[in-house]
Amino acid sequence: MEKNHKIIDANHSHIIPDFKELYRYKDLFVTLTWRDFKVRYAQTTIGLLWALIQPVVTLLILSLVFGKFVGVKTDIPYLLFAMTGMTIWTYFSYVMTNAGSSIIASQGMVKKIYFPRLIIPLSKAAVGLIDLAISLVIMVILMIYYGIAPSSNAWLAPLFILMGMIAALAVGIWLSALTVRFRDFQHIVPFMVQIGLYVTPIAYPADFAMKQLPSWAATIYYLNPMAGVIQGFRWSVFGGEAPGNMMYVSFAMILFIFITGLLYFRKVEDEMADYV
Amino acid sequence: MNTDIAIKVTNLTKQYSLGKKKEESLRSSLTSIFQSKKKMSDVFLAINNISLEIKKGDIVGVIGKNGAGKSTLLKILSQITKPTKGKIEINGRISSLLEVGTGFHPELTGRENIYLNGTILGMTRKEVKDKFDEIVEFSGVEKFIDTAVKHYSSGMYVRLAFAVAAHLEPEILIIDEVLAVGDAEFQKKCLGKMQDVAQQGRTVIFVSHNMPSVKALCNKGIVMKNGELVYNGEIQEAIDLYQIKNIKTKSNQFKKSTDSPKTNEPVELLDFEVVPRNGNLLTMFSGIDFVLKFNSHVENKTIDLTFEVVSQDDVIVFHNGATVTPENNSEIGEYLVTCSLPEQLLNAGIYSVNLIFGENQRFLLKQYEDIISFEVLQEIAGSNSSKLPGIVFPKLEVLSEKTSA
Repeated sequence: MEKNHKIIDANHSHIIPDFKELYRYKDLFVTLTWRDFKVRYAQTTIGLLWALIQPVVTLLILSLVFGKFVGVKTDIPYLLFAMTGMTIWTYFSYVMTNAGSSIIASQGMVKKIYFPRLIIPLSKAAVGLIDLAISLVIMVILMIYYGIAPSSNAWLAPLFILMGMIAALAVGIWLSALTVRFRDFQHIVPFMVQIGLYVTPIAYPADFAMKQLPSWAATIYYLNPMAGVIQGFRWSVFGGEAPGNMMYVSFAMILFIFITGLLYFRKVEDEMADYV
Repeated sequence: MNTDIAIKVTNLTKQYSLGKKKEESLRSSLTSIFQSKKKMSDVFLAINNISLEIKKGDIVGVIGKNGAGKSTLLKILSQITKPTKGKIEINGRISSLLEVGTGFHPELTGRENIYLNGTILGMTRKEVKDKFDEIVEFSGVEKFIDTAVKHYSSGMYVRLAFAVAAHLEPEILIIDEVLAVGDAEFQKKCLGKMQDVAQQGRTVIFVSHNMPSVKALCNKGIVMKNGELVYNGEIQEAIDLYQIKNIKTKSNQFKKSTDSPKTNEPVELLDFEVVPRNGNLLTMFSGIDFVLKFNSHVENKTIDLTFEVVSQDDVIVFHNGATVTPENNSEIGEYLVTCSLPEQLLNAGIYSVNLIFGENQRFLLKQYEDIISFEVLQEIAGSNSSKLPGIVFPKLEVLSEKTSA
């Protein structure tokens, strides 16, 4: 048997993604990520500044509405409070939007050449890391400005960022596969982003919502994978009351979406070229 | 599996659902959950139960008409889409080139696109880097290598794209019609490059409609028709078979053979001939008559007859006909039909005819595909002017007058 022996059998398909093969295509992943990054800012005059302006504008609007008009009370300055929420959320919504439409957008490639299709949403998730890095920098600048030191839990922050990344990727993988089969998702995703901004404790503390909700609704609230991640991240950076068991609901949800996403993606992967 | 075999295909079938393919929506999926019975959708067999073996080092030309299933076969071999049934075994690193410049991005420079396209085609970044200079030299766009490709001429674009592809080093290479690009000089260069590849003992599978290049390159041929494998063997025989079957035969006459058994068909074609109306040569100016005889076995029906004339490149020139017995008055017996095409309708060229008998212009009675073909000559005998482009050559009425000083 030679090393490049391959069998394509209609009656036999792999349920689990071929991670070895995925690794073999790492150079394609790097190139596609780099292409997206390059193209994204290629024709704009202020280039990367756009990655800065988007979260800043949202941040200002949130502080105006929730900080000033509604008067949400927070332990730390509101601007900083909202910014910590915005960091991971910005990344999450970027990946959700761009990974979701990614396979349709690359249909020219999908129809003409074989490669593990998972590379496409993965590369979108990688491009979004730029935005994540930029918003983390803004957050640190605000911390310095307000003279607030990180809490003793800060070493846990990378864990929450990682969970946020997995959550974004998980949702991105699901949506990219679903959008190929059902174009309707192209219209659903913007709603999800819009609603997500409000049902996630970004502009207000989670307790704020918990106080208004019966306990069964709290569980539903934390089914939103981002709810636990953002609350946990904020706790790790600024301390305060540790997030309760509800956080594990979010984490379990993330793992569930991630694993089912990979399986679903694998299931439809072979036929994507026929649908796009 | 035998080690000198590169590809072994067993009982391969690819089925597409017609209509459903692109229109599947969330709604239909949701509603189908609640419907116990699945609606039968029309299916189309792009590949119908094909088995074949390709030996290592063979250069195989895949030929057949449009829609014969050639591209689908390549897509399955390239793993782009999955077969519905069957099995394929592949021995060796495989690369497919169904298009030149897959993934090229207009905003990126030539240099960047070489890396992009190279990795998409399965090279590592290091492999691209090692071959970079060769690729650029082959493409002949050195001067513009750091310019965004959106500023390239289409010729430069294609040359760069082919240059990347030409430097792939797979053991099995699958190519679809990529030679149909660029100017004559560049095509020659590409053919040369492919011959090099062939001489290095690699296996190449090559789809093309261009018989001279297939003949020059390949030693084996596969002929496909309507999703089925018609022939697999030596290239010359494959080309002959394809040309006899598909490039239209010289016969402009059909005669029912006398020893054919009596059939139960409602209608039965006896004779069919294409003749010039004026003179004795079919030309653009002679006028063309379709003369046919058929036997009707049905009574009191409205029989209609449709001629479908198809040009050599498979374009339907027209699909039109008339009722033979307009008022439900068909009788059992022989009919003679003459259908006249005006002068100066068809341009010079070879055409084939499909003949369709119907009832009430709704039901199919009998269909004869590719029944005869005929050649319309340029002008009169002895003329040596070359054929003008186009399928039709209509008579134009031109009025001109002087409207100002």
